[in-house]
Amino acid sequence: MKKQYAFLVDSEKCIGCFTCAMACRNYYHQEKGVVWRHVYPLNEEIYPHRERAFFSLACNHCENPACLNVCLVEAYTKREDGVVVHHQEKCIGCGNCIRSCPYGAPVYNPVEKRAEKCSFCHERLDAGLLPACVQSCPTGALKLIDLATMEPGNHVQFPPGFPKNDKVNSSTRFIMPKVPTMVRR
Amino acid sequence: MQSMELPLVLFTVLSQAAIGLVLMNAVRLHAGPGGGNARKEWTLVAALMGVGIAASLFHLGHPLESYRALAHLEKAWLSREVLAAGIFFALAAFAAFTGREKGSPVLVWASVLTGLLALLASGMTYAPPALPAVNNALPTVFFLISAVVLGAGFASWFAADGNQPLLARIFVTALVVGLVVRLTVPCAWLSGSEIMRQTGMAWLGAPLYWIHIALMAACLGVLWKNRAIPVWLPILALAGELAGRAVFFSETIHTAVNIGAPY
Ligand code: SF4
Ligand code: SF4
Repeated sequence: MKKQYAFLVDSEKCIGCFTCAMACRNYYHQEKGVVWRHVYPLNEEIYPHRERAFFSLACNHCENPACLNVCLVEAYTKREDGVVVHHQEKCIGCGNCIRSCPYGAPVYNPVEKRAEKCSFCHERLDAGLLPACVQSCPTGALKLIDLATMEPGNHVQFPPGFPKNDKVNSSTRFIMPKVPTMVRR
Repeated sequence: MQSMELPLVLFTVLSQAAIGLVLMNAVRLHAGPGGGNARKEWTLVAALMGVGIAASLFHLGHPLESYRALAHLEKAWLSREVLAAGIFFALAAFAAFTGREKGSPVLVWASVLTGLLALLASGMTYAPPALPAVNNALPTVFFLISAVVLGAGFASWFAADGNQPLLARIFVTALVVGLVVRLTVPCAWLSGSEIMRQTGMAWLGAPLYWIHIALMAACLGVLWKNRAIPVWLPILALAGELAGRAVFFSETIHTAVNIGAPY
């Protein structure tokens, strides 16, 4: 398998503090209302316990990116390391990628009038640094992995609460939150 | 509810009316010489496609950079749609400028071919993986029905008397098929995956959806009574298709709205 950088979301460790999402904003200063990373709480139908569980998600840097396939001006490229980059200067703001990505990752920037999304902090990766969100996570719930070298483990690709799409084949992997121990008295 | 995408509603419906007109032109060629005024008809075809393309530019953040739209013909259906619609418009404009009373079969068939390709490319463009309810052949089916309904309706403005019953029959058939498809599809979605179910609920709960259904039924009622297509009826059908397309764009649910909840 070719190199494919990906996010590992460990929902057992995630406490829903939004530090990852804030680190992304602090680093890129997106326009008001433009968000690259979201922290989604898991619905009670998926995780019916008193403590809550979360998925921290941005672009999944898919193997067969819907965004790249539909962009009429070739504003998207996929790097050798699997990172899907949006070149905003090429974008004409047609919204086709926004409509097509099953994960809602590309968003419209109303000031630039062009799309934009998580870049996996590829400039930081190239400098040997971690993505801002990964670096900031206080519990280590967000990790940088390479699917090519990752050992098999208890991680899943399409957990409940995450849109399944085999064809697009998103790269993010998840560790599901454990069921809490019930203490009876 | 997402945005109604008015420029896309106008572009898709008007371009499909233009494509439907050339389809009906080909049907009439096949049915034998029926007279009519080819030049005026081509003018309407070119005008519909031209207005549609102009409207589509308002959808872009940067309309002046739209010249780069053909960069990704290799993969992007949207690039292919732009190419096919552009060629179709050029053919129609050429026919309108150079044409005489009698039309040229070569131009008709070349336009039918590029028109159908544009329609297919449109169908693929608006069937993305993020919209499971329409991530299939449905958009192409919806668009084809719109093209035939509007094509048969507007062609009645130009066809000779001998061809009017044929057009009325096509109009009625397309309306009946359209009504059956429009009524059954959202109901079928209700028993599909979560996002399909939500889409079915959103469509069935949208006033514009019922306006579309009512206008299609009204057109059928008028044809039932009249047995011919009154001059104003295509306009009524056009209003219905615009309403239906607005529902298509605004009420089809995106997978991203449900992250964290069951799919
Ligand atoms: S998550 Fe969406 S934007 Fe990111 S690579 Fe996949 S399809 Fe493209
Ligand atoms: S909005 Fe920009 S990046 Fe997205 S498909 Fe259109 S041109 Fe490509």
